[in-house]
Amino acid sequence: MSSDQTPNGQTPEDALSEAEERAQRRMLRRRGRTGGESSGRRGLRRDKSASFLRDGDGPMVVMEDVKKVYEGKDGGTTALDDVSLEVDSGEFVFLVGQSGSGKSTFIRLLTKELDSSSGRVVVGGRDLTRLRRGRIPYLRRSIGTIFQDYKLLPGRTAYENVAYALEIIGESPRNIKRMVPEVLTLVGLGEKGERYPNELSGGEQQRVSVARSFVNQPRLLIADEPTGNLDPDTSIGIMQLLYRINRTGTTVIMATHDRDLVDKMQMRVVELEDGKIIRDQRQARYALAD
Amino acid sequence: MRKARFFIAEALRSIRANMAVAIAATTTVAIAVFVLGAFIPSFLFVQSAVDQQKDRIDVRAYISDPATVDQVAELEAGIVALQSDGTVESFDFVDKQEALEIMRERLQDPTILEELPGNPFPRSYIIKPAQAERSGDIIAALRDFPAIDPSAGVVDGGETTSRLLDVARFIQWTGLGLIVILLIASLLLIANTIRLSVFARRREVEIMRLVGGTNWFIRWPFVIEGIVCGLIGAALAVGLLWAVKIGVVDNWIVENDDSLTRDTATTIGFSALAGILIASGAIVGALGSGITIRRFLKV
Repeated sequence: MSSDQTPNGQTPEDALSEAEERAQRRMLRRRGRTGGESSGRRGLRRDKSASFLRDGDGPMVVMEDVKKVYEGKDGGTTALDDVSLEVDSGEFVFLVGQSGSGKSTFIRLLTKELDSSSGRVVVGGRDLTRLRRGRIPYLRRSIGTIFQDYKLLPGRTAYENVAYALEIIGESPRNIKRMVPEVLTLVGLGEKGERYPNELSGGEQQRVSVARSFVNQPRLLIADEPTGNLDPDTSIGIMQLLYRINRTGTTVIMATHDRDLVDKMQMRVVELEDGKIIRDQRQARYALAD
Repeated sequence: MRKARFFIAEALRSIRANMAVAIAATTTVAIAVFVLGAFIPSFLFVQSAVDQQKDRIDVRAYISDPATVDQVAELEAGIVALQSDGTVESFDFVDKQEALEIMRERLQDPTILEELPGNPFPRSYIIKPAQAERSGDIIAALRDFPAIDPSAGVVDGGETTSRLLDVARFIQWTGLGLIVILLIASLLLIANTIRLSVFARRREVEIMRLVGGTNWFIRWPFVIEGIVCGLIGAALAVGLLWAVKIGVVDNWIVENDDSLTRDTATTIGFSALAGILIASGAIVGALGSGITIRRFLKV
């Protein structure tokens, strides 16, 4: 069994056409060569985006005694309680647990959409608890994010949605014209760039979202229930994309309660219950034991 | 430069994509600016007419016939003193002969004057106050000079003057009050419309924040959009005002030639008014959207 294969014996590329695969390999090869460092013709761009996260061998994400309480009249709701965790660069981590277990809070702490009530959250060497508000956009540019509801801009085509992530970082129009079709092909939407989100299926919209999250070539990609609204077959397609992205060295953290998917992938599983980590296991299944 | 082009393109795209909302905002601006644009010159015109009436107010100090040259000189020194402290703008001496001439011109039947024994009209000073409101001070200061005729005294228009001053004050304050209220109402109306348009797109703004857009990167297109809507709305209003001026006001002035030209009251020039209105339309549009969007940039 080659290292490219998932445990169920299906290679992640199976779902991709040959042409898409070629584009994908080309793109991923280039990424592998630059290895997240600034070099060559894309050096400038990397300085603008991903360099916000510090390079190095240290862990990509560190949480230390993180507690998150949502203030309320009845003393508030504790969403995360004393969570400590490390995720190394290049890891693929599933975050599982029932609704309300704290998965989304966990994810949103990483993009500083929320602030922890106490404890430290460190992403790529940056202590988010001490990050100034004005720097938040730079943090988010260096993290790819995928949401359950896709969060695509409704008035823009698939192409424009992906391009927006590049326009934000001041990428030149010439590079945008080159890179966006490449990434769209990579996610299997080479022909559908001119469609608007409401003209695409859920799976296709999520592919656009993946393309947008990846076009900056972030070193960390987080996904909050990316397959939550999708049927099983479509979910596998998205999963394969994330897996391919992870294979290029990108750290992926994915919150999900898609049991089949987690069981197939056999990756590190972190399980939350009532805001506490009750399990952290490598090459694991969704549930502890059957 | 590339960024400016990008922001403008983004603004135009979003106007196209949200045409209905853009039209609503533009119309609101147009209506508000039109009302202001009609009211401001009217107010200034009335104000100017009233000011002209106020300019006509003068104070007369009548001199008794028996007063000596020294006493008259003393009175004149008093007036000069008032002039040097800024109460009096200018003054004129009218001797008995001139007074008679003036009266003769004013009467429809001057022969009546022939019947008079001698010349009953007194010498007087005609004093122009620096401000109409100060005429009372002038009267008080000059009343007790020995040269003053005890029966005629020192007078301004009396009742007429105080009525005129009351009216002038009333017009000034209600006019200013109305302008302020109108301004606030238009600002609220415009801000509200823009708030609605931004609110309809708060999700979009949220997404832009989540994928790493800085506040100003997100805000600029909205600000430019506000400017464009403000400019177009104000331009529409100015066009309409121009049509009203040509079609209605100018005709009316020609037809009522006498009453208006006699008083050469002035108001703001049309091009200055247009400039002010269009500039304020743009500023209100820019501020309205720039400030409203702040609420949604906190994600």
